[in-house]
Amino acid sequence: MRIIIGITLLAPFALGLGLGCTGTIGDSEGVDALPPGVPPASFAPAPATMRRLLGRQYRNTIEDLLGEAAALAAEAPSDVSLNGFDSIGSAQLSIGLNQVTGYEDSARAIAAAAVAERTAVEALMGCEPSGADDAACFRSFVERFGRLAYRRSLTSEEADRLVGVALAAAEAYDSFDSGLEYAIATVLQSPNFIYRIELGETDPHDEGRRVLTGTEMASRLSYFLLDTTPSETLLDRAEAGDLDDAEGVAAVAREMLEQPEARATMGAFYGELFKLRDIEGLVKDNELFPDFTPELAASMRGETLALVDHLAFEEDTDFRVIFDASFTFVDPTLATFYGVTYPEGETGFVKVSLPEEQERAGLMSHAAMLSLQAHSDGSSPTLRGKFVRESILCQTIPAPPNDVETSLPPDAEYATKKEKLQQHMDDPSCNGCHRVMDPIGFALEGFDGMGRHRTEVNGVVLDITAETDDLGFLDGPAGLGSVLAEQPNAVRCMVRNFFRHAVAHVEVDGEKAAIEKIDEAFSTSGYRLKEMIVALVSNEAFRYVGVER
Amino acid sequence: MSRFDVKKGLSRRTVLRGLLGGGTVALGLPMLEAMLNPNGDRLANGAELPVRFISWFWGNGKKNDKWNPDTAGVDYELKEQLAPLAPVKSYCSVLTNFDNKAGFGRRGHHDGVAGFFSGHPFIAIDPNGANYASKFGGPSIDQVIADIIEAKSPTYLKSLQLAISKRVTKSEGPTLEFLSHRGPDQPMQQTFNPMAVYDQLFGNFTPQDDPSGELRVRMLDAVNEDAKTLEKRLGAADKLRLEAHLEGLSELRKQIAALPPACTQPPAPGQDNNDVNGNEPLAEVARAMSDLIVVAFRCDLTRVVSLQHNGSVGGTVFHMTGTTTNMHSLSHDEPGDQAHVNGAVVQCMESFSYLLEQLMNASEGSENLLDQSVVLCGSDCQEGANHSSKDQPAIVAGRGGGALRHPGIHYRSDNQQNTSDILLTLLQVFDPSATSVGSAEGLSTNALSAIKS
Repeated sequence: MRIIIGITLLAPFALGLGLGCTGTIGDSEGVDALPPGVPPASFAPAPATMRRLLGRQYRNTIEDLLGEAAALAAEAPSDVSLNGFDSIGSAQLSIGLNQVTGYEDSARAIAAAAVAERTAVEALMGCEPSGADDAACFRSFVERFGRLAYRRSLTSEEADRLVGVALAAAEAYDSFDSGLEYAIATVLQSPNFIYRIELGETDPHDEGRRVLTGTEMASRLSYFLLDTTPSETLLDRAEAGDLDDAEGVAAVAREMLEQPEARATMGAFYGELFKLRDIEGLVKDNELFPDFTPELAASMRGETLALVDHLAFEEDTDFRVIFDASFTFVDPTLATFYGVTYPEGETGFVKVSLPEEQERAGLMSHAAMLSLQAHSDGSSPTLRGKFVRESILCQTIPAPPNDVETSLPPDAEYATKKEKLQQHMDDPSCNGCHRVMDPIGFALEGFDGMGRHRTEVNGVVLDITAETDDLGFLDGPAGLGSVLAEQPNAVRCMVRNFFRHAVAHVEVDGEKAAIEKIDEAFSTSGYRLKEMIVALVSNEAFRYVGVER
Repeated sequence: MSRFDVKKGLSRRTVLRGLLGGGTVALGLPMLEAMLNPNGDRLANGAELPVRFISWFWGNGKKNDKWNPDTAGVDYELKEQLAPLAPVKSYCSVLTNFDNKAGFGRRGHHDGVAGFFSGHPFIAIDPNGANYASKFGGPSIDQVIADIIEAKSPTYLKSLQLAISKRVTKSEGPTLEFLSHRGPDQPMQQTFNPMAVYDQLFGNFTPQDDPSGELRVRMLDAVNEDAKTLEKRLGAADKLRLEAHLEGLSELRKQIAALPPACTQPPAPGQDNNDVNGNEPLAEVARAMSDLIVVAFRCDLTRVVSLQHNGSVGGTVFHMTGTTTNMHSLSHDEPGDQAHVNGAVVQCMESFSYLLEQLMNASEGSENLLDQSVVLCGSDCQEGANHSSKDQPAIVAGRGGGALRHPGIHYRSDNQQNTSDILLTLLQVFDPSATSVGSAEGLSTNALSAIKS
């Protein structure tokens, strides 16, 4: 049986845009009669690289290991994004003096706060120090704390080194606590803590790839689904073999997805993918948008995250609804902004329908998305279209031309952005990109630079319809929403966005067939996000890594 | 959902110093003054005075008709965009009609910044349906020079990376986000907050009777051992990354062990680069950063600085020119003469000129700091509107310890020579034996004699 997943909608494009969307899923009825669960020889994953903990993961890890006071003192060096993902940057780029200094600074502050606060540290000690130089008690602490921080058991050399540091500090200050403090600060500066080391062991069925060990799998799973370090229980279970096969991984993933941290983690993922985390720092021109305050911005972000949470967790339903939902979520601040009544007796975000005349539908008519994908002094059809192409449809925008004058003619005056951008749309050197991006944005021109509804600009009634080469006719925001909800590319892109974030690289050829199994599971589940995620983590492309050639 | 993001802010050291009131002592004798020979033209031990390097960048180019001088030679005129350089003109050579050959038309801005500042064509990271991203193809020239200086006479900080506008494009990879790169996979994080820069310069000195200094070194030694053990298990790419991390550890170790500089610690800058009514304090931060560069040089804490005034593309709004639109959008959308784009370039050059003036006004023995500096100023394209890598703006300032031509000239290349030729000329000030810069299309083996003394 061969299943053809053929999406050729992009074929007319001569832009190098498409996704390479035509693919086949290989015959799974084993050519080489491999044991069940062993991926085919054609499966060749990308080599593993060390992954620096993301800033949010670092902070959550400190909170889980050492408590809230310690987490408040934590300050990880910044993440750097590559191909749109912090995790890809974290797996490829190096750090230098500035970040090393940042880690030292943060480690010392965390250690001081944790020892001062005591609760978590004492729980990890499991002994009563007989004096400042109680080496056995130091050892007991570093072995347990070190295992949690390195996400694996320490070697005896590693434990010796840490006890050595602790004893030196205890002697210098004649204080057991000082010893603890320096031991903690050393652990937190170690590459074994700062980086996730998921190198795997050689696959007995194929020397060209490696399968993650139980504790490595615990780490990968926990950071992907909960943005934090694996719990002691999970490490125990991993060492007992619970994560050694796909079924075990799926079972643990299902448990994790029921934890509240999974919802926060989903929010953080979408905060990154949709740039929502940038919204409070977003700058709008004070005179044109005096109402755009950090408080309103936070409410806007909350709306979009509430819809994600509703579809993925509360309802556990078809996630494509995010593109064309006829309802949304408002808090009192946002209710005022949208001009709807906030129901009495409620708190937080509540589900509402917005006034029909605003023609809002789904994600792309959320105030947050419209504000983020705009200029500081007005809307930007180009930025809105670029976002949809890159982040919703996973299409790469080709390079703008070099050595071509792209500015507008002298004394040009245009009432609307559409008229103005028509210049770029008509210019053969510009329209390669602009024909791809701008029409999507034209369908959203009924919303200004902070997402307020409008029907005219400079006295001209807006035309919010647009024609695209590949997506067909877009009839305003609702039309765009329903087109996106029906786009096979949009659901494939969701899978790939999660995958890229989860494994910290853009998929390679040897992984493509495996990923299509996740597409299939997503489709079979009726596009329920949690089911897609379970399929992703139990997929070989999540559980295996390649070998550097 | 409170677990989203780590709040950005001042480092604890800076906050602590702020609480304690900071240093309030006036700037005293620079360290080097105490170490000069009686003539003030060499160090007391006979060594030459140090020469420093600065790369200074702004994004989105110039306007040809308001920048390019009409005449060549010493008596070139300063058109509108170069007019701010009047007080330091004798220290400036303006270079026009070069070709950034490492930027051969693959992607606007990426070509321009990577090629001009490194001589290596940038590396495109195959997006395969993800967001486009690129990284530098080799080290930026400031890092090449930093290594040369480090080998001869190491300073407290090997180099310092500064940035002014916070509205940097972060979505297209390290090429557009950072100016300094030790290599393709190691962009150098830059500091936007002058208070934090002050902290980098003066925050790590530990009193001799404080045991924490020795214990911090002990921690780093243990971490170093961990790293060495780990390294054995890693593939080639990760080995390089871990080595970069180890280099950072060893630099930090050196700092902890260092004695405070002999110069008097100046007061902390009263500027933290926070927006004022939604506007970036660009000019104010540029001044604060320039003052810190002068302090860092006077105290000989570092000899290499890179400064990103506003990033490639970016969202920087030059509000002082009366616009609410960012410079990059204006460069494509402002009709006609692009008065606001012009204003933005003028503003950049005012800030650049301020730096040069402060260096010129800071004496060092019989010379001044600008005599003892090499400054490379450039952008990421010719004009923002055309993304061209030909005739990108280029200024070389400072006398380079006597190696560079003074007074400066306008030199117009008659054959569109490689901008890497400029890099090689500057590199040879620090390493006369250097024979090439850059690679592939950007390779230069031909220094530019016109700007040598």
